[in-house]
Amino acid sequence: MADIKVEHLHKEFGLGDDKVVALEDVNLEISGHVFVSIVGPSGCGKSTLLNIMSQIETPTSGIVSITQDNREALRGYVFQAARLLPWRTVMDNLLFVQDDPGDAATQERCQRYLDMVQLGDKTEKFPGELSGGMQQRVGIARAFSVEPDVLFMDEPFSHLDAITARTLRAELHEMWKATGKTIVFVTHDVGEAVELSNRIVVFSKGGTLEDDITIDLPFPRDPADEKVAVNKAAVLKKFEELDLVAT
Amino acid sequence: MVTPVIEEQTSRTTEEELAKQARRKELISRWFWRIMGYVVFLGLWEFASGRVLEENLLPGPIRVFQTLGDLWADGTVLPAFGATLTRLFIGFGLSFLVGTIVGVISQNRWWDGFFKDATIISLTAPGLIWVLITAVIFGNRIYGPLIAIILTTFGLVTINVYEGVRSLPKDLIDMGKAFHVPNAGIQRNVVLPHLAPFLFTGLRFGFSIAWKVTVLTEIFASSSGIGFQMRIAQTLFKQDEVLTWILLFFFFALFLEKVVLQAFERRYFRWRQAVEAA
Ligand SMILES: Nc1ncnc2c1ncn2[C@@H]1O[C@H](COP(=O)(O)OP(=O)(O)O)[C@@H](O)[C@H]1O
Ligand SMILES: [Mg+2]
Repeated sequence: MADIKVEHLHKEFGLGDDKVVALEDVNLEISGHVFVSIVGPSGCGKSTLLNIMSQIETPTSGIVSITQDNREALRGYVFQAARLLPWRTVMDNLLFVQDDPGDAATQERCQRYLDMVQLGDKTEKFPGELSGGMQQRVGIARAFSVEPDVLFMDEPFSHLDAITARTLRAELHEMWKATGKTIVFVTHDVGEAVELSNRIVVFSKGGTLEDDITIDLPFPRDPADEKVAVNKAAVLKKFEELDLVAT
Repeated sequence: MVTPVIEEQTSRTTEEELAKQARRKELISRWFWRIMGYVVFLGLWEFASGRVLEENLLPGPIRVFQTLGDLWADGTVLPAFGATLTRLFIGFGLSFLVGTIVGVISQNRWWDGFFKDATIISLTAPGLIWVLITAVIFGNRIYGPLIAIILTTFGLVTINVYEGVRSLPKDLIDMGKAFHVPNAGIQRNVVLPHLAPFLFTGLRFGFSIAWKVTVLTEIFASSSGIGFQMRIAQTLFKQDEVLTWILLFFFFALFLEKVVLQAFERRYFRWRQAVEAA
């Protein structure tokens, strides 16, 4: 469980006429065992925010600190595409991100997370031998296997068919409950956000944080359940008010 | 419920066996045609020798193999190969180094402009040009072959390295960073495996050209090596020896291609074969 502080974060790409403002004075605090979704239309800076938080990119200005008991928090990341090394086996893909890949306990831990995503018998396969859904599962197991304090996920299920996505969502939720992590989950699907999260942060085009909504419903949430539907409708209404619906 | 399971298993094993048999058949027929190729070619050659062309002009394969035995016995073969291979390895080693450096620094567009046309010339100019020029300048000294090899092959290495570096998988490198993987680990597990097939292509094609250029330089300006032996045999009108050296040249080229490079490929690109088979 990590403490995330984002203060006056600003990010621009390009110079002169090509300049794009991806994030505009973003302030955000996230801490504890929460599942936070970041929603907003495509191009509103969601991926950029995750990339800055996970140190893939640097901010133009502003401060981002992610700590755990006053030390730098350990991060995991699940990407939109699985991003596996095609020349390494499934197991070696997990070991690649470990501090001590030779350690027996580490290997056991990787095996355990592969078991958890039902790929325990595919450890010696290469990613190209697996289906898209299986590859995404490997990506999820990889992120959990480093036992991070905070887990970033960038539209991890958007490339998958509806049934696989639903299964993985349920698995993810189980793992979130069991491991007590802080999860920051990016999606453009409001239904998915309402189903999974305690808190929804809404961004609009131009990279401004527009709203911060708490969803206080018990888990697991059935999308067909009336309360879930009501909440989803409420969030969608906010979207309309903010004029974000155009997709 | 037990019976269907057993049935399924037996049907699967027979299926596997059938597949295995089909593969074996395929292998046998491939080898059959390959050997037939040799038999027909050697047969025609032996037949033509002394019938279509005079035996002095076209000694048959049997004569050539006898000559090969003689040359091997009197100890000319190995030193000649040694001399050629030494030039080849030094020359192509340097070329690989030069080509890699040029390919990497050409990511910068000033250097790209600087080397662009030189690379294209290296790719397109026939090796013979450099062989002739360096033969005049350096005579029998080792610099001639080395420079000729570098000039004819560095371009091939350069374009491959260039393409490899340009297409570095940023998404995978970013993934490594997001997971706190240190730079050395990213270089070893992401950058190098990505570059490997590009380096390998440069190595394979560059080497096959370097090999021809080396022998050519020896024909024109050298006092040792396979090319030199060919020239001597030719001036002495020993056609059987000329053909013997050509045959040795072929054997060695085949050996490099089929044994050395393919073993290398199997070892380092196993993941591709696994993926292709899936
Ligand atoms: N590396 C980059 N170079 C230039 N512009 C970028 C880069 N990454 C993102 N952008 C721009 O920043 C804006 C936000 O992008 P992104 O964070 O990917 O949005 P989202 O993930 O919400 O769809 C977009 O206008 C996008 O074009
Ligand atoms: Mg995005």
